[in-house]
Amino acid sequence: MDKGAIELKDVTKIFQRSDTEETLTALNHINLSIKPGEFVSFVGASGCGKSTLMRIITGLESPTKGEAICDGEVITGTSAKRGLVFQDHALFPWLTVWENVIFGLKSQKNLSEKQALAEELLKLVELEKFKKTYPSQLSGGMSQRVALIRALTTEPDVLLMDEPLGALDAFTRMNIQDVLIRLWETQKNTMILITHDVDEAVYLSQRVIVMSPRPGRIIDDIRIDMNYNRNRSHSDFLKYRNQILERLNLAHEESLEYYI
Amino acid sequence: MDTQNQITVKELKKLEKKQLSNTRRLLNRTIALLPAITLFIHYLEYSYVPNHGLNQATKLYGNLLILGILVFFIWYLASFVKEEWYEKLLYLTPLFSVIWILLTIYDLLTLKSGRLILPYFPWIGRVLDAMISDWVKLLDCVKNSLKLLFTGYFTGVLAGLLCGVLAGWSKRVNYWIQPLVRVLGAIPSTTYMPIIMILSSSLFGGSAFLIALGVWFPVTISSINGVSGVHKNYYEVARTLGTSKIGILFRVVMPAAMPSIFTGLTQGMSTACLTLMVAEMMGVESGLGWYINWQKGWAEFAKMYGAIIIICITFILVNCILNLIKKRVLRWQGGE
Repeated sequence: MDKGAIELKDVTKIFQRSDTEETLTALNHINLSIKPGEFVSFVGASGCGKSTLMRIITGLESPTKGEAICDGEVITGTSAKRGLVFQDHALFPWLTVWENVIFGLKSQKNLSEKQALAEELLKLVELEKFKKTYPSQLSGGMSQRVALIRALTTEPDVLLMDEPLGALDAFTRMNIQDVLIRLWETQKNTMILITHDVDEAVYLSQRVIVMSPRPGRIIDDIRIDMNYNRNRSHSDFLKYRNQILERLNLAHEESLEYYI
Repeated sequence: MDTQNQITVKELKKLEKKQLSNTRRLLNRTIALLPAITLFIHYLEYSYVPNHGLNQATKLYGNLLILGILVFFIWYLASFVKEEWYEKLLYLTPLFSVIWILLTIYDLLTLKSGRLILPYFPWIGRVLDAMISDWVKLLDCVKNSLKLLFTGYFTGVLAGLLCGVLAGWSKRVNYWIQPLVRVLGAIPSTTYMPIIMILSSSLFGGSAFLIALGVWFPVTISSINGVSGVHKNYYEVARTLGTSKIGILFRVVMPAAMPSIFTGLTQGMSTACLTLMVAEMMGVESGLGWYINWQKGWAEFAKMYGAIIIICITFILVNCILNLIKKRVLRWQGGE
């Protein structure tokens, strides 16, 4: 697949602080390019603008300055080409698992083909028995898997995930991390992941982008040169992990000084 | 949803239930007979205590009492077979026993002693006879009342949904709906009754309009609340799944707002019933409300009470149906 390239050109986003006349620079001159089919993670302290960056790529927000480009086209709004998964799974509670999964298919052609894909993906995450279940009866991990499948059935070129595993326990988290890699290997789309968890970033991605707050900017871009399935206790893994943590700590100290 | 669950809920409840002592169990068995016994006492009282003056007992009521005794006795026997029937009977026993005792007292006060006099206090048998003697007219009244009720109700619901959903959806619509709701909603719709009676060319249309107005208000408010309470994530997910604006309105906003909308629908129904009665008593020349007023004019109190009983049954049924629809539409809420 050669679709799903993202290009950010000098993206700046400034917000008005709520109920004040002050403004806040969430993103400051971001330049970045992501190749089709790449798995990229963003890490950084809260307030570094990583969520804003993702909302701009999705098309939910537009940049104050600069432009975001997807496959040569400037992003002006949302599109089924760029799927989104939240930390809160946001499954529609009035629809069953299956109705949730095929929600995005109603507006598409060759329906039966896509439904077959949805069925296959549901099997991949071992939820085919729960098709007729309502989300209120699912556990957090199950819900998040359904949300992932729902975002993938429309076959987006890019899948954006905003801390999708943040609310899950450690065991479920590791389980779904493997699910994510499996899904990525079958769908071969671009994956953009936002996470607080450095281990998760190193385990999953080919590239980890480290961001720093006030103003939100990119301070490092680290390529993870390891084969999948990665071993969490391998020396290379630990090396990358420490490298990223060091960068984050440094940024943290800087931002403290900034305050003093 | 646990597939490994090996015992059924029924078995679980049995396991966890407190063990009752033998005397207590025997006592419960006896208590379960009370509805049949009290009803039998009522029957004996009705049949064998001499009537006051010229008062006449009717056969029909006596037969109904026998039927009732049979039902409760058979239910009692059946409760030995099925645990649930027994529990249900035990649960309803105090309620029914008290009702039968109250009926006995009422009968003693009216038919038997004349303490409460005719025509204001007819005994139950007399009310039943009055209902049966006039059933063609009553049925026609029920039909007319329901026709007016539902014409008004559905118009109101439709208008309320339209206004509420659009106002919750768009700020510009809300700008115009908000003052309308404030002004019209503050006044009970029955206040406009005299004006409507004068202005409208048809009383049916005018009354339907009033009922609709009374329904429109709660439905609008609850839809506005429902729509503006829809979580932002739902919109955003739907948008990234490529759903159009219209699609989001019908497939996300409306279903998400449904629980709130149903609060308005239920509230609207009670307003509608109220307005219906007022309208029928004040102007419309058909329906149960009109029937009550008309019979009052002839001092036919038995028929009046009969109509009230029918109104009660009708409204209970209408609300039951609404509740069934609600349960069906909101079945996804279960288990939360």
